[in-house]
Amino acid sequence: MKKPLVIGSLILLILIIPPIRIYMESIMIIHMLIQLPLLIVVGWFIGEFLMDKAPRVFELLNDNGIPGIIVFVAITMFWMLPRTLDEALTFPLYELFKFISLPLVGILLVDSWRKIKVFGRVFIFLNYLSMFGLMGWLYLDSPIQICNNYLLAQQKILGWGFIFITALMVMYVLQYVFTDHSAEEDISE
Amino acid sequence: MSTAIENKKLKSNNKLVSTSLLLGGVLIAVMMIFGILMLLAQGGVIDVSDAAFYQFLTIHGTGMVGAAALAAAGVMWYFLNRYVELSKKIFIWFLGLVLIGVVLVVIGVFSFKYASAWTFLYPLPAISANAWGVTGALLYLFGMLILGTGFLLLYIDTGRAIIKKYGSLGKGLGWDVLSGKKKVSDAPPKAVVASTMVTIVNTTALIAGAAVLIMNIINVINPSFTFDPMLAKNLTYAFGHIFANAIIYMGVIVVYELLPKYANRPWAVSKLFLVAWTMSTAFTLVIYTHHMLMDFAMPKWMLIMGQALSYANGLPVLVVTAYGALMVVYKSGIKWDMASGLAFLSMFGWTVGVVPAVVDATIVVNHVMHNTKWVPGHFHMYMGLGAVVMLFSFTYYLAKIDSNVKESKLDKIAFWCYAIAMFAISAQFLVSGALSTPRRWAIHYPGWMTPAVFGAIAGVFLVIATTIFIIHFVRYLKNRGTVGSGLNEQKPA
Ligand code: HEM
Ligand SMILES: [Cu+2]
Repeated sequence: MKKPLVIGSLILLILIIPPIRIYMESIMIIHMLIQLPLLIVVGWFIGEFLMDKAPRVFELLNDNGIPGIIVFVAITMFWMLPRTLDEALTFPLYELFKFISLPLVGILLVDSWRKIKVFGRVFIFLNYLSMFGLMGWLYLDSPIQICNNYLLAQQKILGWGFIFITALMVMYVLQYVFTDHSAEEDISE
Repeated sequence: MSTAIENKKLKSNNKLVSTSLLLGGVLIAVMMIFGILMLLAQGGVIDVSDAAFYQFLTIHGTGMVGAAALAAAGVMWYFLNRYVELSKKIFIWFLGLVLIGVVLVVIGVFSFKYASAWTFLYPLPAISANAWGVTGALLYLFGMLILGTGFLLLYIDTGRAIIKKYGSLGKGLGWDVLSGKKKVSDAPPKAVVASTMVTIVNTTALIAGAAVLIMNIINVINPSFTFDPMLAKNLTYAFGHIFANAIIYMGVIVVYELLPKYANRPWAVSKLFLVAWTMSTAFTLVIYTHHMLMDFAMPKWMLIMGQALSYANGLPVLVVTAYGALMVVYKSGIKWDMASGLAFLSMFGWTVGVVPAVVDATIVVNHVMHNTKWVPGHFHMYMGLGAVVMLFSFTYYLAKIDSNVKESKLDKIAFWCYAIAMFAISAQFLVSGALSTPRRWAIHYPGWMTPAVFGAIAGVFLVIATTIFIIHFVRYLKNRGTVGSGLNEQKPA
């Protein structure tokens, strides 16, 4: 089962290639809503591989999934702050931290997501729903340029991006709660 | 099902639910005292500084809504748990988070003078003209956020459990019965229908509330981040209106469960019942716009919708419930005691309380009555005489089925004392409103004072009556588990 490792590393490699990296980071919405999530996806794939290889480590560190998901929330919230995006462009150390921390929480996410069951997933999902809505609102309404590296117009586009994601999430919730789940084996806990 | 194990499980659930009711009941009684202090101040009887008045207003509004919601959630959880499998662990988390939230709010209001009223309308939390500082605002806003998180956990669990048992929230509302796929006799029980409605509307409310609370927190920490105030008001009232409204929809479950048992008659779910609850679910979500009838920037269609649907909002459920309750009780030879009496009183209070609300939701009337004491008049009636009465109906019910504590003459006196006093307080607000007394004013002109003083006196009787209710409940808690009446609970298969 090396496939996830290969896929994960490949995506990471592509993201690191300087022209691609610099291009992605030059546009705010791509930086925030494509590059950062892709780094988490990298972690997700690598996590699948590692879970297969060393399940004991995950049991030891992240038995019920809660420590992992807390770190995940903390790190992703950190990267949602407008100013961190800015500093990643200014300080190489920040950039390095970005490329390490996000794959890392991706690894934690894939492990935790299975363990926190339906209840935990719904809770996390709804939290991100309101957080994304709020971020969209913040970027759209801000009368000032928040980042040094991105212009006001870029901020607005990013704001609509967040609103778009929030709308998709709302539609997902609606279809989930109003379609039938009685045939499913176990959606307990 | 009547095994000892099953019974033991139910008993330990009783303890948890009792905690939420005791906490809620005591908080309600304490908040009443702040209500009396406000009326005394407005009536010119005592001297309260303006700053203190608004702290009282803030704690009274927040505390009453929070405490009533806490206790009502206990009632809902108790009955819903008979039909679906809820998690006890989550309920404990819910209690814990609410408690932490309350403590933070109290500290923010009393130690740091936070006084934005419970509606914390943006940008007031950050712009207080130095009446309070950043710390107070943050304590209050974070307190509300934590409290809301507790409720969100609870509703995720009820939603999860309802979907697991019935397939979807639509089916929890009985949509498959309405579409003819299922027989009416197989419809979900009333407690499940009501809980599904509350789960839907309150989850929505809490998500909107979380967003607007965090927005306020950002603005308080760094005022250079500003937001569109009209959207903020929309989200704030989507949260506040829905959350406060849902209290009565949780409390009414006790009426559904208790009256048929007492009257020894079935109260079957009908298609009309299901339609009514679905309509109220939809209306409750959109009519918060009646809080914005004065905001000219709002799209006109939203306001017209707010007005039209506000008329229609509570009515479907109220009508099927009041009518159903009458039919169950009528000539049934029902035995009246505190629990059934309070349940019946609550139906009366709800019905009467809706009338002034409907009047005020009319745009033409609202132009005159907006922000007068007419508004607290209507919601004190239907909260104080409706929702809160349901909660105490439940505490007497629990005491009856789970202990041998007897009701005394004193309880009966308290019943009438409560009914009359709460009615008097509501009437006092309505009279003030008719006199054009503005709401939320620390100081009244002499011509406005008389009703306030009258209300304060009634308030004292109300506190006494409420204390007697609580004492009965505490006596139950001390004698919990001693065999109760023949109405003893069994989990339906
Ligand atoms: C002894 C009983 C009570 C008294 C004396 C009382 C008194 C008051 C007074 C004087 C106000 C401020 C009115 C104004 O705007 O000028 C008020 C507001 C309010 N009360 Fe009560 N009240 C009582 C019971 C209740 C109950 C049982 C509830 C709900 C469960 C409740 C919920 C509220 C709310 C939500 C507000 C609005 C606060 C705001 O405007 O921000 N009250 N009450
Ligand atoms: Cu309202």
